[in-house]
Amino acid sequence: MLIVENLRKEYKNLVAVDNISFKVEEGRIFGILGPNGAGKTTTIRTVLNIIKPDSGKISFNGKPITNKFFNTMGYLPEERGLYKKSKVIDVILYFAGLKQMPRKKALLEAKSWLEKLEIGQYYDKKVEELSKGNQQKIQFIISVIHNPALLILDEPFTGFDPISQNLIKEMILSFVTSGKIIILSTHQMETAERLCSDILLINEGKEVYKGTLNNLKRNFGINTVKIEFEGDGGFISSLPVVKNVDRYSNYAEVHLNDDVNPSDFLKMIVNKIDIKNFSVLEPTLNKIFIDVIKQSKK
Amino acid sequence: MKKIFEVARWEFVEKIKTKTFIISLILTPAILILFSIAPTLLSEQEVDNTKVFGIVDTSGLYIKEMQEELSRYTIKGNQPNYLLVNLTSKEKSYADLKKSADRDVLNGKIEGYLLIENAETDSVSVSYRSKSLGNMKDISRFESAFNEVRIKLKLDKENVNPYLLDYISQSVQINPIRIEESGKETANDFILTFFSSFVFIMLLMMMILYSGGMLIRSLVEEKSNRLIEILISSCTPNELLTGKILGLSTLGLFQIFIWIVIGLSLTGTSVVPIEVFKNIFPILIYFILGFVFYTSLFVGIGSVVTSEQEAQQITTYLSFLLVLPIIFVLPAVETPDALYIKILSYIPLTLPSFMMLRLNISPIPEWEILSTIVIMLISIYLMINISAKIFRIGILSYGKRPSLKELIQWLKE
Repeated sequence: MLIVENLRKEYKNLVAVDNISFKVEEGRIFGILGPNGAGKTTTIRTVLNIIKPDSGKISFNGKPITNKFFNTMGYLPEERGLYKKSKVIDVILYFAGLKQMPRKKALLEAKSWLEKLEIGQYYDKKVEELSKGNQQKIQFIISVIHNPALLILDEPFTGFDPISQNLIKEMILSFVTSGKIIILSTHQMETAERLCSDILLINEGKEVYKGTLNNLKRNFGINTVKIEFEGDGGFISSLPVVKNVDRYSNYAEVHLNDDVNPSDFLKMIVNKIDIKNFSVLEPTLNKIFIDVIKQSKK
Repeated sequence: MKKIFEVARWEFVEKIKTKTFIISLILTPAILILFSIAPTLLSEQEVDNTKVFGIVDTSGLYIKEMQEELSRYTIKGNQPNYLLVNLTSKEKSYADLKKSADRDVLNGKIEGYLLIENAETDSVSVSYRSKSLGNMKDISRFESAFNEVRIKLKLDKENVNPYLLDYISQSVQINPIRIEESGKETANDFILTFFSSFVFIMLLMMMILYSGGMLIRSLVEEKSNRLIEILISSCTPNELLTGKILGLSTLGLFQIFIWIVIGLSLTGTSVVPIEVFKNIFPILIYFILGFVFYTSLFVGIGSVVTSEQEAQQITTYLSFLLVLPIIFVLPAVETPDALYIKILSYIPLTLPSFMMLRLNISPIPEWEILSTIVIMLISIYLMINISAKIFRIGILSYGKRPSLKELIQWLKE
């Protein structure tokens, strides 16, 4: 278990992280969300022991994080890059070596990872000869090859095509089953929703929300559903649970009252019109941020 | 420790494989060899035909004697080196003679001519007139020939014994001999001193520039693509820094090793005189210390700069410091004990190259060698520490370059 308590980091005239606390258990993915400059990277760096916090405690399985933990941590930074002129396998082996993996074992693991991510044929190529997506796969391999107990992924899906995204997602989920502690930092609501069991929302270094994602949406969401239907949908706007409707010929976006559950609304309309598609519209993270920040300022 | 070696191995293996490294490995000695043999080759090449010069002397006193004097110089096949044509004729006035001789020069009939004026007086003067300013070697030969003739004529006139005449015209050269310790002495040759110090200073400069540039570039790259974050989430900044310095120093040593092998195989030939290797051991020590010192300095700088252009600028400035001794070679040979030379050989930035220079000029007392080595070792230790502090913070700050004030702040942390 990773426990972060009252973390604080101050730069010259800026409090980057202000009293942040959270806990991540084995086999769970913890999402850190926040706008740019919110303090995500600083939080991650202190967990990685790259920088020292001014105050606060970070412990991993009951022990404070020190340099000894380097080999049990894996990190995928948001900005991607590798040694372009070097061979794929050499780069992987270098980073595996830095995590003190025996060379033979690292070579076997590297080959199996390259196969798993469907880029086995680039084994002997120079990094610069690979497409951007494939370079990112190499970087992903670097962050996981030494089988870290704690894995920190910063925007792991950006830059991947949907097929590769899926591949990476499956890998991450397999780490959940094998009991790793995973911290995922992202802007993308969709990513967070698909993977994270718990999230921490921060802004200007302060905690804004901590808990499950569903709760967050319920708290800050705009409660809008989208329906595609056949039939006369005119009655919808007159329902008492509806705030307002944006209606087109066979498509409508319905803004429900805050206390109304979308599935209750579905029950009310399902017998009256022929519904082709019903979905709850996700509020964008941006929207939530704006709402949340507004709320936290009050 | 293991991680340091991992970093060092990576830096060494990856850099040694690059094309630029292989090229510089071969090109640097090739350029130096070219520099050392090109002048000889070129000066040997020019003498395969007799050069035609003219002489104008209305008094007629010098013409025959000069022709005789210059016939001493011969080239391949016992051919005369110079043919001195008499352009003087009684019918023409001095002005006309000059005019027609000038024309001959411009038409390319002769390379140039000697114009002798006031020949009958003691204030005789000679000018050499040609299209170009002329070959220094030729002119100096003309000059010594003329002076010999002038003295001969004067002594003749005063009825001096011809034996004395020969005696006077001979001159004795002073042989510079360097005494190193009692019973051990060597003939010293300025060119060799210059050359052997020059070779090592140039090599040091080129290597530092080359590998320093490489180091900064790789740091800027690692910083800009955030590889540095993966690196320092795998090892401490100190391990990373030490590994880099170790790797690059090994690379430098490997390079010197190859160059020394090339040098040794050419020793004794005209390309590499044996003198180059005379003080090889102390020179190598200074070379290595200088290299490690500058490498650690570059690590500190590399972690602060934000772009390759900036890196380029800084390497250029630093290279001036390294070339400095080359400017001082001449005064240092003349007065090796000058205070400023001593001072410069105690400042870590210039110490290695100045000591390399001084080693070849005059014997240096043991205590001075020892104290400079100790100074160098302490400086390296301090430099690594300073660089490490800057490095730890510098590698994680992106964007703006830190101000001097901020840097000092970092050093205090």
